[in-house]
Amino acid sequence: MRLADLFDFAWQVLRSSISRTLLILLAMGIGVAAVVVVTSLGEGARLYVANQFGSLGTNLIIVLPGRSETSGGMPGVLIGKTPRNLTLEDALALKRSHAIRRFAPLIIGAGDVRAGALSRETPVLGSTAELMDIRHMEMAQGSFLPPGDPRHSQPVCVIGAKVANELFGSRPALGEWVRIGDRRFRVIGILAAQGQSLGFNTDEIVIVPLAAAQALFNTESLFRILVEAKSREQIAAAKADVEEIVRLRHEGERDVTVITQDAVLATFDRILRALTLTVASIAAISLAVAGILIMNVMLIAVTQRRREIGLLKALGATGHQIQLAFFTEALLLALGGAVAGLAVGELGRSFAVQMYPAIPFQAPWWALAAAPATALLTAVLFTVAPARRAARLDPVQALSRR
Amino acid sequence: MIRLSGIARTFLVGGEEVHALRAVDLGIAHGEYLSIMGPSGSGKSTLLNIIGLLDRPDTGTYELDAKNVTALSDDELARVRREKIGFVFQFFHLVPRLTAAQNIELPMVLAGIDPAARRPRLARLLAEYGLEERAGHRPDQLSGGQCQRVAIARAMSMGPTVILADEPTGNLDRHTGQEVLGVLERVHHNGGTVVVVTHDPEIGARSQRRLRMLDGAVVADEKG
Repeated sequence: MRLADLFDFAWQVLRSSISRTLLILLAMGIGVAAVVVVTSLGEGARLYVANQFGSLGTNLIIVLPGRSETSGGMPGVLIGKTPRNLTLEDALALKRSHAIRRFAPLIIGAGDVRAGALSRETPVLGSTAELMDIRHMEMAQGSFLPPGDPRHSQPVCVIGAKVANELFGSRPALGEWVRIGDRRFRVIGILAAQGQSLGFNTDEIVIVPLAAAQALFNTESLFRILVEAKSREQIAAAKADVEEIVRLRHEGERDVTVITQDAVLATFDRILRALTLTVASIAAISLAVAGILIMNVMLIAVTQRRREIGLLKALGATGHQIQLAFFTEALLLALGGAVAGLAVGELGRSFAVQMYPAIPFQAPWWALAAAPATALLTAVLFTVAPARRAARLDPVQALSRR
Repeated sequence: MIRLSGIARTFLVGGEEVHALRAVDLGIAHGEYLSIMGPSGSGKSTLLNIIGLLDRPDTGTYELDAKNVTALSDDELARVRREKIGFVFQFFHLVPRLTAAQNIELPMVLAGIDPAARRPRLARLLAEYGLEERAGHRPDQLSGGQCQRVAIARAMSMGPTVILADEPTGNLDRHTGQEVLGVLERVHHNGGTVVVVTHDPEIGARSQRRLRMLDGAVVADEKG
């Protein structure tokens, strides 16, 4: 039997019992679509988190005061230890490492920012010129903090897009003076609107030189040091350097926590991948159910088409040919179901994108391949038994019954 | 052409052995028109099924075109059936979803014949059996006589050695039955070998050789 004739024959069968065909297509389609949609959601969440981390900076290492290990059990006072602050001097010492490209010490506080009669409470960041490159910030107007010795400061500030809009409206903000606490700063730059990244909105901040922030909040201790390694490969070396430099400066105590962006990202990545896989396998169960449905329908078909199978045998069809006919039928059903499922899944995906444009919903390639493949495989697998039963049918008996 | 020697076939019905055929010897020559008659249960259908390679004898040998086909595998039997045997059934056994033309074409499709080669053969068969105007109709749109003509055309489509007809008129009224018989006789006149199983003596009488069966044995073999 020629391949084209085989498909033609199966096609005739499917067309002649259209409601049965549509029902199986529906079941298969739902299974495939479920896998595609679920993996799209999971992959979208994973990419979203990855992007968020990416927007923080590349090859980023974050140094924060305090350590994460458990030790002692007794209060520091009793054993003569006091928690040490992370200071600007600690940060400047990092220049010694060859694995570090640049770093930016960071102080955060809340300040009352006033321009004329308008006043607004915003987070105030104290940092250096390097922050812009490390955090991939972009300027809408003007320039970022000027480079120079971080121990000394000029009375200048950079404001977020929303702050500029709120305080100055449509008036030009560049060159204007704002008052933060009891100090005056000239606005030298306005940040481009970037929106939220990991819970921190750069549109709503004011950035001042580090020394100014130290004076403003009357503190020596840093909130964070952001460190950028020279390359991805140097991250580990940079991290070790940071730990060693700070330990030496802190009298041998490991009292800072060093987080690499990679490690955090890798953890999120693992968790979200595992989640996606789990939910996808649950969705895949519906594919197995669809496969059982196909088997059921095929078994019924063997009974219903007894006479036809007997006739085909009388006309010279081999058992092999009869099996092939059934497999072709199941394969066409699975193929149709897979195509319909992929289409519906894509529809669901674009719907999700419409609802949450920020999240890059996208079915991973392995899901797009695995879902239809599973559909085809289960269809073929579950047709083995009915097809063999059909092939073994005794033509004399099959033909004798009316 | 067909040579059966010592063919026996036993069925087990409800734990009891039923001898459908007991040591039947039979030779059928090329171009013969043979009828097999006998009451129901006499073994005539079993004999037809064995000649048609749908059933295997328990003992005995069967030679078809000087070739022993008794020991062939199922798939080999299917191939021999496809090439050499044409079946006509009492209940037509047309595939309901296929048109008359597609039904006639079915054995050629199963044999894997190229569509380009099938087309002229199909056209010739449709013309020969007066089905040209009904080619696109499905069996439920055809009369009984037309259905049986489609079945005969289908049986003839591979140019078989022998046509085996099991009660071909059993499901038709007298007039249509005569007409279908006429079609079968035309096959015989054109040189084909036709074996008809019937319990109707009138139909049996029209053939040139008449076999009478009783209790699984051939009890009479008349010619002329």
